[in-house]
Amino acid sequence: MATSVLLSQPALTINSVNLTDQCTSATLSSVFTAQNSSTFGSNDTFYVAGMTENEFECELFMSYAASETWATLSALVGTQTTITVAPTAAALAAPSATGPKFTLTNCYLESVDLISASLGDLSSISLVFQGGTLTTATS
Amino acid sequence: MLKIVSPRLGTPGTEFVPGEGVNIEALIAGGFVVDTGIDKPAKVKNNDELKD
Repeated sequence: MATSVLLSQPALTINSVNLTDQCTSATLSSVFTAQNSSTFGSNDTFYVAGMTENEFECELFMSYAASETWATLSALVGTQTTITVAPTAAALAAPSATGPKFTLTNCYLESVDLISASLGDLSSISLVFQGGTLTTATS
Repeated sequence: MLKIVSPRLGTPGTEFVPGEGVNIEALIAGGFVVDTGIDKPAKVKNNDELKD
């Protein structure tokens, strides 16, 4: 059994707005696009890192009340913004070596579902923030 | 100067200093901050600094 595990309870801000209490899922990924660098004379394939492709995906409960989900996102669609996310609320406020805070600057929000409804379910939306510059704070 | 309105951003009534890449227009449109239209006063040099 693993000696250290983490209960998923991240905290995040979108465009500086703390929406942790509306969030049910969050995934931040950084991909270094593989570029084939193989040459003649070898039967093996080799890769080197190309451009980075950072992406942040999250699911939020939808709310049209003041200072909630819709108010945060309605003017962000089609623009660049900055998101921050950390494993815990404490790390978001005061990052450390064991509680890093990740900041994705100038990431692009392509679309937002204006209505996302299903019979009997709480309304929630999925967001994808693409690109941007990823930095990690540990202090 | 931008003043915080929503507690989701910080303490209401205090100045909001946006970080890099933050979309200020979206924050104003969403009612999270208001632009007071008042810039912070420039630092006034005292007489000793003016002599240098």
